[in-house]
Amino acid sequence: MTQKRAQLGMALFLIPEAVFFFLLILAFSYFAAIPYLSSRNGWLLTVLPLASSLSMWRGWRWMTIALGAVFLIGLLGTSSSPLTAIYGLHILAGLIALAIVPASALRALALYWYFFTAVWLAIFLIVYSGGAA
Amino acid sequence: MKAWLCAIDHKRVGILYILSALLFFLAGGMEAMVMRAQLAAPNLKLITPEIYNQMFTMHGTTMIFLVAMPVLTGFGVYLVPLMIGANEMALPRLGALSFWLQLFGGVLLYISFASGSAPAAGWFSYAPLSEKAFSTGAGVDYWALALLLITGGVVGSAINLIVTVLTERAPGMTMRLVPLFVWSTFITSVMILFALPALAAALVMLLSDRLLHARFFDPAQGGSPLLWQHYFWIFGHPEVYIVVLPAFGMISEIIPVFSRKPVFGYPFMATSTVAIAFLSYGVWAHHMFAVALGRNFLAVFAAASMLIAVPTGMKIFSWIATMWGGAIRFSTAMMFAVAFLLEFTIGGLSGVAFAAVPVDWQLTDTYFVVAHIHYVLFGGTVFALLAATHYWFPKMSGRLMDDKLGRSSFWLIVLGFNAAVFVQHFLGLMGMTRRVYTYPNLPWFGPLNLISTVGAAILVFGIFIFLCNVGMSLLFGAPAGDDPWNAWTLEWAAASPPLQENFAEIPEVRSRRPLWDRKHPEAPDWMSV
Repeated sequence: MTQKRAQLGMALFLIPEAVFFFLLILAFSYFAAIPYLSSRNGWLLTVLPLASSLSMWRGWRWMTIALGAVFLIGLLGTSSSPLTAIYGLHILAGLIALAIVPASALRALALYWYFFTAVWLAIFLIVYSGGAA
Repeated sequence: MKAWLCAIDHKRVGILYILSALLFFLAGGMEAMVMRAQLAAPNLKLITPEIYNQMFTMHGTTMIFLVAMPVLTGFGVYLVPLMIGANEMALPRLGALSFWLQLFGGVLLYISFASGSAPAAGWFSYAPLSEKAFSTGAGVDYWALALLLITGGVVGSAINLIVTVLTERAPGMTMRLVPLFVWSTFITSVMILFALPALAAALVMLLSDRLLHARFFDPAQGGSPLLWQHYFWIFGHPEVYIVVLPAFGMISEIIPVFSRKPVFGYPFMATSTVAIAFLSYGVWAHHMFAVALGRNFLAVFAAASMLIAVPTGMKIFSWIATMWGGAIRFSTAMMFAVAFLLEFTIGGLSGVAFAAVPVDWQLTDTYFVVAHIHYVLFGGTVFALLAATHYWFPKMSGRLMDDKLGRSSFWLIVLGFNAAVFVQHFLGLMGMTRRVYTYPNLPWFGPLNLISTVGAAILVFGIFIFLCNVGMSLLFGAPAGDDPWNAWTLEWAAASPPLQENFAEIPEVRSRRPLWDRKHPEAPDWMSV
């Protein structure tokens, strides 16, 4: 029951996160305020959260953290904008949570992790790729 | 002391919310009184324009974010588990985290005074005024960071309330049977999840502009101040309903009990709450009619704004129909509830007037707007809160509030509030603009402003009597017993104040008035439905 509640709570938490990133991405696209990111780096970077989510799904906690950490470092290394900064903060929070929560909370945290993988795809495809066109 | 600092019990967290809101209410009230003193006569120079700007910014921000939202959350956190027959919130530690985020946000906002520059760009901090070029001090940074913390707290408590309502209801209590206060708190929490992130996004962009040299809102560099207005009001208009729907819920609990009749049209009450929530997302641009948005755009938003009066009107008529033919008991709580109906209706009517675009063009940024929002938020929300305090104080403290003091405070508050704010309608129609620290000696401006200031002083005195009543009743009030009002919802089945465990055994629910069923086994509600 406690786990059910935690999962429901996490699912609800992702609603404001979705609205928040939707509005930020909208503003960035509207102004075409695109920080530089080469296509090759972008795709390399995008492999990492996808692999990390896959490992999360398999239940490999430390592999997930390792891939997530490399992704975060790569993210900060290749581009800097308020959007990637605020996104990076969410990844950092997720990594810290992954490192410390009990195993019973992993199902709820997995929702968070998949969601932010999807947010990265949205940022990458809409903001970066859209800007290049 | 430690028990309170580390509290995760919903009753303690709820009371912490209410007490912190009271503290900030006193601060916001003082800021209002400084402004009313400055406006008491034409061409007064008691304070500088800079201080005046800080006062109205802090007053508005405080009353919305540090008073209205936390106090309603506090009542929600305290009452929802009791009303649905639960012993705890679903996520108790999230509840405590939400409260402390909210409180530290408030403290951070007030530290800005110590930094030498409190925010002074208004409670909605329009760009480009709020940009670094025009607000050079750190005030707006404090404002934005404080609001981000508060947003986190508000979202946390909303999630907690939703999960609680969805998973903790007593056996048999379907969503068709929950008390209307629970309904309105539930819908409000859902609204928070969709509205507050718009504020957070706007704040992140504002901070990026100010601290990281971004240019979202700077027209000179390709940004758009209108973007701020859109995002702020996408949050800001649902926010108006976020701070009024729970108050509607309180009134829906109080009026039936003191009319000795079940609430009229429960399904309509619940549905109209949902309708208001939906419509509130389609009306934000009525705050922006003075911006050149295009005729069709204006027409759509004007129509939606008028439409929202329909579900709100349904509620007013349902409350009247509940009282109609009832055996009304005029306790202090009921008097505040009836006053709420009258005062809120005045605010609602001036709101419909605004929805017509030409009227808005004439009146925008005048004192008519100030009068409107005070009738809605003070005449509406605060009057409902005063009714709720008199109604639920016996449950929270185990003692009754004094009725005589209650009546004195009631009349002082009604007289003071109406004197202070009603005249502002006329000042607005005569063209007195808001957010200007003084005004010339035009016909009627001086006397009407003086009436407003005197009214505000009477209002402060009334609030003082009310607070005395709370304090005295806490110490010397007559013992209340579990169910002083002969009410029908489950919180009155618990002890007063409720024990650590609210209910020794979880009650089974078969109707909207479970306590009526228990008191009248010969004619329970569920037999007649």
